Amino acid sequence: MEGGVIDIGTVELFAASGLMLVAGIVSWRLSLGQERDIAIATVRAFVQLLAMGFLLVYLFRYQSWWLVLAVLLAMALCATQIAVSRVKQKVGGLHLPIFASLLSSSMVIAFVVVEGVIQPDPWYSARQLVPIAGMALGNTMSATAVAIDRLFADLDSRADEMFALIALGATPREAAFPSIKAAVGAGILPTLATMGAAGIVQIPGMMSGQILAGADPVVAAKYQIVVLLMMSAATTLAIVLICFLTFRRRFSKEGYYLDAGIR
Amino acid sequence: MGLFEARGLSVAYGAADDPGAAPMRLDAVSFSLERGRIYDLTGPSGAGKSMLIRACAQMMAVEGGCLLLDGVASGAMAVQEWRRRVCLVPQHASLVAGTVRDNLLLPWTLKVNRSRPLPTDGELRALLDAALLDVSLDRDGAKLSGGQAARVALLRVFATKPEVLLLDEVDAALDDASAQAVGALTAEVVGQEATCLRIRHRSPDGRAFGTFHLEGGCLSYAEGGRGRMPEAVPASEGPVAASPNSGLGRSPAASPGSGLDGSPAASSTRAPERPSASAPTEGGES
Repeated sequence: MEGGVIDIGTVELFAASGLMLVAGIVSWRLSLGQERDIAIATVRAFVQLLAMGFLLVYLFRYQSWWLVLAVLLAMALCATQIAVSRVKQKVGGLHLPIFASLLSSSMVIAFVVVEGVIQPDPWYSARQLVPIAGMALGNTMSATAVAIDRLFADLDSRADEMFALIALGATPREAAFPSIKAAVGAGILPTLATMGAAGIVQIPGMMSGQILAGADPVVAAKYQIVVLLMMSAATTLAIVLICFLTFRRRFSKEGYYLDAGIR
Repeated sequence: MGLFEARGLSVAYGAADDPGAAPMRLDAVSFSLERGRIYDLTGPSGAGKSMLIRACAQMMAVEGGCLLLDGVASGAMAVQEWRRRVCLVPQHASLVAGTVRDNLLLPWTLKVNRSRPLPTDGELRALLDAALLDVSLDRDGAKLSGGQAARVALLRVFATKPEVLLLDEVDAALDDASAQAVGALTAEVVGQEATCLRIRHRSPDGRAFGTFHLEGGCLSYAEGGRGRMPEAVPASEGPVAASPNSGLGRSPAASPGSGLDGSPAASSTRAPERPSASAPTEGGES
């Protein structure tokens, strides 16, 4: 399977980190003060990716269904933490809803794709499940953070309108619905744009990887198509879930909007 | 007994996390609004007038007290149903995207009005005309002037015929003629069956049966419009209750003594039966 892969030697690998000197020198000459961040990012990328590599080697060799599921769960937990830290709006208690929406969107869709389309043997094969679920998680994670920011910013900008709606007897859901629509629409857009540009402007990362690994480009293209479709479904599901799980945080239990003045 | 009653209402606002702003509070405010009458609510800026009517519409946290609509406590019905019947019109008119018609029919897009008949274009036109609003129903709401938008926001509430109208300076953005027209229309909508509390800064228009004054956390009441005697109280021709049991500042003991336990909690969601002597308000606008 990986017969065509050309391994990278240890010396060459560390020599490649010399490429970070480009960013380092720019930062130094322009006094950006980011030398430290550049060094940390480089080390993190090395450590995290190599660790993931060794983990996968171990996982492929000794895989069992519960071990694979534990790894997927840990990935979802990390994605939750990163998504929460990316939200700029002040909203409390986001961990649980984000975790729930990431898990139920990416994991469900990833399982559908792996079991329904790829059909590996055994069904919990880490070689297919971990990378596919990882790609779904990565996309939904970014989309979720963007959707939450958009949702709460839009709610605040519609505070007067919602006040009037609620005074007329609207439920929180009725009052918030236009904002939920806007947030979901905005969250779906980037995935659609990626799909539209795929194959023309760039070869998406996964397809490039498979081609570099010596796979037939047409097989790689088929995988990439499935992955793009999966990402579009997973992000849409995640955004819809997170919007409906969180919009009520800006409403009191009597159903009026907690605008900036009374929050 | 009044159609709308607040008993011992206590509200605090803006104290908790904003030490810069002086906390505002109302302590045990009681008042009552009679059927078929319009009341004004006056007081200096920042006295808490808007806060008081927000509390009446259950649109802010209340520390204590109770609200009754026709003897039924607010807790006995869904809060959305309460707001449909005790309807607040905010100071800042805000229209949704769409035409004037879309905005006037906005209440009917909500679940709470689902079973109620949609007003016809003729009825909406009559409302616009009564408010001296000479715009087409198909006009884009975003193209209206401030005063026109304020009237559309008010008329969409009038169209739903709530029992209690809480108007927060709805005539502030209007010229005198329009303000007069809105006053007359308010009286027509209130008719014999509804009641209305208006926050106003304009000079009295003679339509108020009584005036509440809120200052320093104290609510006082005087019959008639402040400053000028009302030459015509529009509600006078109907059968009205004997005397207004009206608000008396901080003493909750002064509010009418009938217990709320006597009110049938089960009959919460439907409008109460009306005295047969009086004509229904519905025909009013057309």
